[in-house]
Amino acid sequence: MSVLIDIILAILAIYLALQSLLAPRLSQSVFLFFAFGLALALAWIRLGAVDVAITEAAIAAGFLGALFLDALRDFSVSDTEKQENTKADQSLVSAKNTNSPWLPKLALGLGLGLFLLISLEAVWEIPSGGGLTELAEAMLPASGVEHPVTAVLLNYRAYDTWLEIGVILMGLLAIFAVGGRELYRKPVMAVQDPLLRQVILFFTPVLFLFGAFLLYVGKTGPGGAFQAAVLWGAIGILLHLGGWPVFAVIPRWLRQLLLTAGLGFFLLLGFLFIAGGNALFEYPPAYAGFLILIVETLAAISIAAALTAIFANLNQMKETPNETETTT
Amino acid sequence: MTITELITVILLVVGCFFFLAGTLGVLRFPDLFSRLHALTKADNLGLGFIAAGIALHIASPWSALKIFFIWLFTLLASSTSCYLIAKFQREQHKPQNGKEQE
Repeated sequence: MSVLIDIILAILAIYLALQSLLAPRLSQSVFLFFAFGLALALAWIRLGAVDVAITEAAIAAGFLGALFLDALRDFSVSDTEKQENTKADQSLVSAKNTNSPWLPKLALGLGLGLFLLISLEAVWEIPSGGGLTELAEAMLPASGVEHPVTAVLLNYRAYDTWLEIGVILMGLLAIFAVGGRELYRKPVMAVQDPLLRQVILFFTPVLFLFGAFLLYVGKTGPGGAFQAAVLWGAIGILLHLGGWPVFAVIPRWLRQLLLTAGLGFFLLLGFLFIAGGNALFEYPPAYAGFLILIVETLAAISIAAALTAIFANLNQMKETPNETETTT
Repeated sequence: MTITELITVILLVVGCFFFLAGTLGVLRFPDLFSRLHALTKADNLGLGFIAAGIALHIASPWSALKIFFIWLFTLLASSTSCYLIAKFQREQHKPQNGKEQE
């Protein structure tokens, strides 16, 4: 019975992925992508990786969803500006597809076939059992946390996690570079909707509390900095959409501090360990739990700030009409 | 099968029925407002019955409280977004209707 569920889930995920690529309209692609993200999250739960499932659901269906819907609005606006209303239904993708010659399709097909072969090969050669699981479990008492995933992410492979925080910051920097310096200046048009305001005001503390819970529970169970950060980032996005542009209010130095605190403190900690004669990110076991909690908190704040800033920048760019024409 | 399991199954089936009806409504109803109506019914009643069934199945008051909160937050979020979509649609098409009536 459970194998049946797994098979159905696998087929559903692949089907949704294909449909989201092949859908004739851009809006269909976006909504199928949401469904694909949720199917993936379910698949991660079936695999027992609840941490990944939470992150997948929060990032793919939540944060990326907000970004995609925002982009969709931009596309539909530029469509109606350029073309007549009757042609607004036709998306840019379908227009490209009908005109494209057969060569890119052939290349795409060959690439997909090769990719499938390679991934089949990889699945075939998975070693039965073993791996590093036992080692990770054995070192758990010295890592300062009780959940193996958190131990791997923030202790054994802290370097990777540090780079991941950096990647998000790099994404934001890329958006800064493309978007120019006009950002944050104009306040977003305040939404004059009492219901929306009340609901956002209600959800802000709830999301904050739930994020803090996820952050703290990462020590013993599924949860952690990234999951908490997405929820806290959602607060920023909600406030931004509700007419309170968070980043326009706080001073520039504080914004920069919030964005870089996680990356900076993590790196500082690593260098301090080197100065103390340890390896990079080698926590002394006595303080490991405490240090990991601080690193996770700062990382969550930084990631949340970066996610909010990414959304706020992208959301703000189209409000200046000159820029949208140059970017599209 | 105990009486608790029976009630759980009945609640889950009723919940699934509302989701099915809601999906059918989204696919078949003619305009946006009636589709929204169908969709929010699925969210309210379908999820409500399924949450009640699962809470009964888990039979731990603490988990039942959490499930209840899941339902409550979904209810708040879905009804707010439904209201916003409907309001947006109405404002978009207001001037057109006015012209047509004149």
